[in-house]
Amino acid sequence: MSIDPPAAGARPAIEIDGLSKWFGQHVVLDRVTTRIASGEAVVVIGPSGSGKTTLLRCINLLEEFQEGEIRINGAPIGYAVGPDGQRRRKPEREVAAMRAQLGMVFQSFNLFPHMSVLRNVCVAPIKIQGARRDEAEARAVELLDRVGLKDKVDAFPARLSGGQQQRVAIARALAMRPKAMLFDEATSALDPELVGEVLAVMHQLALDGMTMVVVTHEMQFAREVADRVVFMAEGRILEEGPPEALFEAPKSDRLQAFLKRTRAGYLP
Amino acid sequence: MDVLINNGWLLLRGASLTLWMSAASIGIAATLGLAFALVQVFAAWPLRALVEVYLFVMRGVPLLVLLFGMYYALPYAGMDIDPATGGILVISLYFAAFMSEVFRGAILAVPRVQWDAGRALGMHGSALMTNVVLPQAVRTAGPPFINTCIMIVKGTSLVSIIGLWDLTQIGRQIVERTLAPFSVFGGVALIYFFICFALSLVGRHLERRFGYVH
Repeated sequence: MSIDPPAAGARPAIEIDGLSKWFGQHVVLDRVTTRIASGEAVVVIGPSGSGKTTLLRCINLLEEFQEGEIRINGAPIGYAVGPDGQRRRKPEREVAAMRAQLGMVFQSFNLFPHMSVLRNVCVAPIKIQGARRDEAEARAVELLDRVGLKDKVDAFPARLSGGQQQRVAIARALAMRPKAMLFDEATSALDPELVGEVLAVMHQLALDGMTMVVVTHEMQFAREVADRVVFMAEGRILEEGPPEALFEAPKSDRLQAFLKRTRAGYLP
Repeated sequence: MDVLINNGWLLLRGASLTLWMSAASIGIAATLGLAFALVQVFAAWPLRALVEVYLFVMRGVPLLVLLFGMYYALPYAGMDIDPATGGILVISLYFAAFMSEVFRGAILAVPRVQWDAGRALGMHGSALMTNVVLPQAVRTAGPPFINTCIMIVKGTSLVSIIGLWDLTQIGRQIVERTLAPFSVFGGVALIYFFICFALSLVGRHLERRFGYVH
């Protein structure tokens, strides 16, 4: 099912091999395999409950998974097989070090409410990467400028609109100089008129060559920005490929039905 | 009124012991309580079970019974501690159980997504706690924490029964001499009230000072 990434020859930044996750009888992810090349923007679409968000959360181990392997730049994350053949979770310190290499943006922003915007952006570089305070702050201001919020450095999150909060959250993730960015329905909690400002920041990031995995319901964004679109349903990748191929010539019935529903909206 | 003024010095001495015992007990109880809360939230089951048994015992036995145990029973076991130290210890251990619940509730009240956000930035262990979880938990813990502090201040009055000259005991002594229970206990009550009222005000102030900007 999987196809070669567009940047042929480039070392895949994120490799997902036979990833499975289940709760008891309920299978959430079913042998998901895909490659995300360095610099590639992959958009994951699919109906709710299809496992898109879970897949994303597995990549930085905010969710456990039972089978398969995920490698970031070649290094397996999360689990190691011991000499006894038992698969064990790696120590939290190693997991945290791996997470520091990936930026994540959440549906509900999740800024730290007790910190100013500036502190939100520079706290992790200072505390986790040991950056010097003045340097981290200067970089935070620069990143906030990039997302158009230079004038909000001293504001607290509660004072910001949803769109502004989400842009701060993107700056916060970028401050760690991540190897890849994971977006978990970053615009789903926003008022419609605030969606554009966040998508614009994400679009720019993709143009800058950031490796991105984007879970979204914004089909227009998927068309314009994605190097590759992945369609998931019931925990499986049913179809993946360039956006034109998926949107103009969907092969599977599920994707055809899904696209029909999302396009139709509530028009008669 | 005269009776209070004439014995003002004595009452102040009693109040100072009450204050000192309260402050020490609050400090120890809060520290232990936080430690117990962290054990309850994070530790593996043997340690967690141990702490939980301790909490159940402390919550289920009256403070007075614990004080009597320390004062009358411990010497038989060959342990002789002076009543003031013992009193502070018993009160601290007792209220640590309540402090633990205050902090545990506050830690669990920090939304899961905040933990996720910290973890996604590469935080774990103490970095996650000190930067993300505890600063938010402290805000939730504020009101019930002050409440427990007030219970501790009033709880120290029980040490009057094991022979310590705290505010309550001083009041009793003055009444025995002067036979003026109304004004003396009225005055004692007023002093307790003002200590606790001051604590409430401090709590209010901190809430305003450290509340989120909304």
